[in-house]
Amino acid sequence: MAAFENELVAVLPRLRRFARSLSRDAADAEDLCQVAVEKALKARDQWQPGTRMDSWMYRIMRNAWIDTARARRRAAQTFVAEAAGAGVGIDGAQDIARHVARGEVDAAMQRLPDEQREAVALVLVEGLAYKEAAMVLDIPMGTLTSRLVRGRQALIAQLGEAA
Amino acid sequence: MTPDDATLMAYADGELDPLAAKRVEQALAADPALARTVEAHRALRARMAVAYPAAPTPAGDPLAARIAAPATVVPFTPRVVPRTTRPRWRQVAAMAACLVVGVAVGTQWQSGPVTAKHGALIAAGPLARALDTRLAATTGETRMLLSFRGRDGRPCRVFAAPAVDGIACHNADDWSLVRTRSAAGGGRGAYRQAGSADATLMAEAQEMIAGEPLSREQEAAAVVQGWR
Repeated sequence: MAAFENELVAVLPRLRRFARSLSRDAADAEDLCQVAVEKALKARDQWQPGTRMDSWMYRIMRNAWIDTARARRRAAQTFVAEAAGAGVGIDGAQDIARHVARGEVDAAMQRLPDEQREAVALVLVEGLAYKEAAMVLDIPMGTLTSRLVRGRQALIAQLGEAA
Repeated sequence: MTPDDATLMAYADGELDPLAAKRVEQALAADPALARTVEAHRALRARMAVAYPAAPTPAGDPLAARIAAPATVVPFTPRVVPRTTRPRWRQVAAMAACLVVGVAVGTQWQSGPVTAKHGALIAAGPLARALDTRLAATTGETRMLLSFRGRDGRPCRVFAAPAVDGIACHNADDWSLVRTRSAAGGGRGAYRQAGSADATLMAEAQEMIAGEPLSREQEAAAVVQGWR
């Protein structure tokens, strides 16, 4: 295997973890991982040997996640509109069951706005320095820290002081 | 001056320079509430690490296998393409379109990869040689993306050549080009990626395939046996 494939396989555990912290459930996370890997294989010419594979992959995965999240939101809105139009109440039972089954942390992460969740995921879960996370997200340091601090305050409030 | 929450967070994460960190430490010593905030930030980081572990990739992981051999592995969640009965005229139109591409390629490459025999497009020259001998996932001008046995029993291969991509199926002694698609897509660079077969071609292969694609071993055996 070439260096590219080796490095990509080597970052898989971290990619899966990142996908897990972004996604709603394990199945969505695995889908996201597959999409990101497909994109990476297609774009392998754009990866420069000697540069960091993890940052490159985080960026690809994050962009793929934004795309799917957007599509899902649109689908959800359509569904809500149709259900409301038909005079059918939204059944929250399934939603609640999912929240209970999932870890508390997972549930709290899901309640964060996307832009805060991705900042929290990169810094607290993936352990990136602020500067690295800001580069992956393509935002200034100040923006990163303000999203990060708001995301963390929300998590601490939901999970308790002792987290 | 009391440090704000962003500063306390950066301190908890070790992101402050020594001078700024020193100032925070002085503030912490004076105010237990600030110290608790720093503790909460650290505890959250620890809890996140527990909630999201990085599990090692298990042996035989399909995603790892996909990376290792992009073109030989069956695509994920193989798309089940229902066999539709298309109107006859559409099939004819599709064949005509193929022919146009084929002829265009043929004229472009006088001594090239395509000839016509009894009105059918047949692989010639370098393309025929590549179809005979190349294994999937090897690099080069002409690459094989997938090999499989079609429903009619013929061995078939999805290929990407410099001027044309397509699906070829083996007859007694030559390869019919059953699908062709001019390799547009501008330039080699981004286009010539392993596994980057045109999605339409792959979907068409999916429709023609009987069972699973050939494994690397089966493919190698077929090369030795001359694709009988």
